[in-house]
Amino acid sequence: MKVSRRTFIRTSAVAGAVATPMLATADMVMTDGKPWPSVKVGNVNQLSAGMPVSFQYPDATSPAWLLKLAEPAYQGAGSSGDIVAFSGICTHMGCPVAFKDGRFVCPCHLSMFDPARNGVPYQGLASDYLPQIELRIDSAGDIHAERMSGLIWGRTSDAA
Amino acid sequence: MALYRREESVPLPPSNAEAYNTVCQYCTVGCGYKVYVWPDGLAGGLKAGDNAFGVDFSSPQPPIVGFSYTESMHSTIRKRDGGTYHVAIVPAHDSPINPMGNHSSRGAVNAKTTWSDSRPTQARLHYPLLRVGTEFNAIPWDAAIELQARVIKGVADKYGADELCSKIYDHGGGGGGMENTYGTGRLLFTGLQMKHVGIHNRPGYSSETWGTRDRGVHELNYCYDDARLADTIMLWGSNAYETATVFFVAHMMPNLQGATKDEKKAHYANGEAIAPARMVIVDPRISATVNVARETGAKVLHLRPNLGTDYMLMNAVARAVWEKKYYNKDFLNQHTDMTSFEDYKKKSLELHMPYKDFMARAQKISGVPVAQIEQAAAWIAQPKPGGHWRRSLILYEKGVIWNYRQYDAVAAIAQIGALTFNIGRPGTGTGRVGGHQEGYARPDYPGPKPPPDVDKYVQDGRGKTFWLTGCNPYLAAQNNAYFRKRVGERAQALTDYLSAQKQGDGEPVSMEHLAARILEGLDKTNGLFVTVQNIYMVESTRDAHLILPAAQWGEAENISLNCGDRLMRLDDRFMDPPGDAKPDWEIHGLVGQKLEALYKADGKADIAKRFAGMDWKHGADVVRSIQDDLYAGMNTKVPASRASTLDPESFKGVDYGYLRKVGQKGIQTPVRIDPNTGELVGTKRLYSTFYFMTKDGKFSWYGTRPWDDHASATVVAGYLKSDRTKYPFWFTMGRSQPLWQSSYHMRHLPEKTETTPLPFVQINPADVKKLGVSDGDIVMIHNDQGNETFAVYETDAVPAGTVFALMYHWLGTSNSLTSPYTDPMSTNPWYKGTRVGIRKLSGGFESVLATTSFRPTNNFA
Ligand code: SF4
Ligand code: FES
Repeated sequence: MKVSRRTFIRTSAVAGAVATPMLATADMVMTDGKPWPSVKVGNVNQLSAGMPVSFQYPDATSPAWLLKLAEPAYQGAGSSGDIVAFSGICTHMGCPVAFKDGRFVCPCHLSMFDPARNGVPYQGLASDYLPQIELRIDSAGDIHAERMSGLIWGRTSDAA
Repeated sequence: MALYRREESVPLPPSNAEAYNTVCQYCTVGCGYKVYVWPDGLAGGLKAGDNAFGVDFSSPQPPIVGFSYTESMHSTIRKRDGGTYHVAIVPAHDSPINPMGNHSSRGAVNAKTTWSDSRPTQARLHYPLLRVGTEFNAIPWDAAIELQARVIKGVADKYGADELCSKIYDHGGGGGGMENTYGTGRLLFTGLQMKHVGIHNRPGYSSETWGTRDRGVHELNYCYDDARLADTIMLWGSNAYETATVFFVAHMMPNLQGATKDEKKAHYANGEAIAPARMVIVDPRISATVNVARETGAKVLHLRPNLGTDYMLMNAVARAVWEKKYYNKDFLNQHTDMTSFEDYKKKSLELHMPYKDFMARAQKISGVPVAQIEQAAAWIAQPKPGGHWRRSLILYEKGVIWNYRQYDAVAAIAQIGALTFNIGRPGTGTGRVGGHQEGYARPDYPGPKPPPDVDKYVQDGRGKTFWLTGCNPYLAAQNNAYFRKRVGERAQALTDYLSAQKQGDGEPVSMEHLAARILEGLDKTNGLFVTVQNIYMVESTRDAHLILPAAQWGEAENISLNCGDRLMRLDDRFMDPPGDAKPDWEIHGLVGQKLEALYKADGKADIAKRFAGMDWKHGADVVRSIQDDLYAGMNTKVPASRASTLDPESFKGVDYGYLRKVGQKGIQTPVRIDPNTGELVGTKRLYSTFYFMTKDGKFSWYGTRPWDDHASATVVAGYLKSDRTKYPFWFTMGRSQPLWQSSYHMRHLPEKTETTPLPFVQINPADVKKLGVSDGDIVMIHNDQGNETFAVYETDAVPAGTVFALMYHWLGTSNSLTSPYTDPMSTNPWYKGTRVGIRKLSGGFESVLATTSFRPTNNFA
């Protein structure tokens, strides 16, 4: 992915709260100070529009979806910019979201998130955007999940 | 990189964090929340015993039953001690309103809308500001108060109280509450005896619901349990999923899904049939609510009336009820006034007209097929097998309230409730969903009923002062383009007069001299002295002369009620206001004290007396004033059967101490004293013995005005009569899920502004094609009243020929298009209907197209 992002230094999550152990320091580091895991989640040749691939990120307790969309997406990877990945847990009250017709719908209170627009909750009870997962595609077409942007529901830290 | 700054962790409050109770500052539902505040540098641990939530976060929370603590529920604030503190504002788990910590996308950002010097809420007003020419200068409170008092006194003494005008909120929830409605009302009504006062969202001091109150039925008469117990829920002009969200998902949806069967068993008669609720929705749009209701698998009936025809349609539903004999004769005879019933039968049901003819005409006017009207009647009123009366909860909101001839529409739906016996029984009720929470405790308004239209009064060049408190009429007043221009022009006339000194004259130095010069200007020009009291530099400050910074929710204690349960709770104070901002009751109290002193100095003790007793130091003092002033003569020691005779929002005997004790459980108004136990008790449901708020306790009927093809809304009627190609579209408006009210807060949060960067208009696919536009294109919507630009959203939510615009946005208000019509019975506007033309200006903004979702918000399948 874009180099500029790696060099961008994130300020701490909470201004001045350095004493709190869980706070982030740099972009490629999780809030516990460890690097974000790089996880191979698929290959571009295996993806087709409308067929989501499930995986876990950043750890085994966090379901996520890898998608190829029918349109270019905000922060989309791949030659058409249409490959994205998101946390699979609704940011309202934690139900698993379902990918239907180009967007995520939560079965519990029907929040809807647009994966082509950074996971915006464009309808429903959720306030936080669905956390988007940064992807890197290597020369062999393998897709790697490399970083989460936003807090997974039900945790106090993505690194937990 | 995300579209806005994200966090990958949130700090937990340590066990010893300060903990407070509160209620969401936003919508009518009034979900319970808890607030935790702790100093920067500390954090709680993951184990339940190590954090103030008492929740174990060492493994992920389970869905639904788990604890929601999301990014937007945490923030940092600064206190007056200079320190930075963390604040976590999370849904309460002990609140009967929002079980299991349910919440909406609005309430979830309560923490983000607290004031901070390092976030966008830094824009909060900190100090009183005085206009000097084109600039604002900070001035101390005593100077600001003196100026306001001297100008008001000068105008009142010379021209009379009729030249003093104001618009002021009457609500609870964020920025509102009993303390503020009382404190401000005490000055304006008791002290200044002003009749040119309009409420925040309308031009006069009217009730939105005289149509039902005059029948003897207060609009808040049911409780949330009724939504769980009803056989049928009717939503008329209410998009509840988007505007009363947790009420809809936590109380109506379970009933639609059949999940409240056991609760029904406990309340229903022996042998009474139990089934999942059906839903009748009356809305010109296929709103999100319509399709969410369908997603539950429930039976849903959707009626889509032409704009402005609702009172005719309601009377047609009632006529079908009459025709099919679905009414309860005993109830009508014993509990309703049979004399006025004759008038109702004659004018509203028009029984002299054959049923078929009446219904055919109703279909023609409203556009709703007769079969659907009859089905609606059956769903809300047809007795159940075994002769059990059906239980229907009939709810309405702004689609009815801001309608053509709104008095008749509100009366008509109240009368459907009475005719179908759907008031006072478990599972029934006929009332408002509500918009914001309530918190009304004010001395009586001294003006006439219906009240004068203050907006028009000021536009017509009358009035000399205009004090806008906690409202933003530059977005919210009807016929807004004209309103802004006239108010702006008159304010400018005074500004110009004040700026017209010769070189070397300087500016008046003392407030006494400045006030004298302002009064001179008001005398010599057609100027208007505009004071804005608000928490932000909202649109209405644009032409203001004096700006007074107010405290908001959480910065002072505040008592409010939600609408659906009349559940009263205390919002704790958990932080300091920004700068020197003060609660509204204190600001009005200070002006009152200054006026008292000035009149005393004048030797006018009789006038000075009217301002006595406003020297409140704390919200609790104001609550004491409410008790002494409003409730002293009220006998609340009455049995439950007479609870409905009490003021429905009254709370005699309740103070902060009591509310702290009951916490989230709260108490439902009206509060009475149990004659047996002497304890304070709340009222679950009004009219449970069918004793209504009339002299004889009987429901009073009203015969409606004859249908006149919108003729009394002259501007709209003119559009309809003239060449329809000029203004080919019906135009209506309303709210959307993520934004609250005028977006005074939400406009500062990227989570919300990225979602709705521009005012939008929903257009049907057929019209999109005709107009040659697509999603995101910028269109100019126009009529003879004004114009406004909107981004296009293509959707089947609106029928062809009708467009729907977001009501308010900081970049444009749909009210620029609304007509100046008000219902002469109530002085309430018809915001929800006018005619417009649409012209494409350009393609969309690239940045907006790249980041904004244009997916249909009403399609969940
Ligand atoms: S439903 Fe209303 S009261 Fe409840 S959290 Fe949302 S905005 Fe607040
Ligand atoms: S849990 Fe997803 S909408 Fe409520």
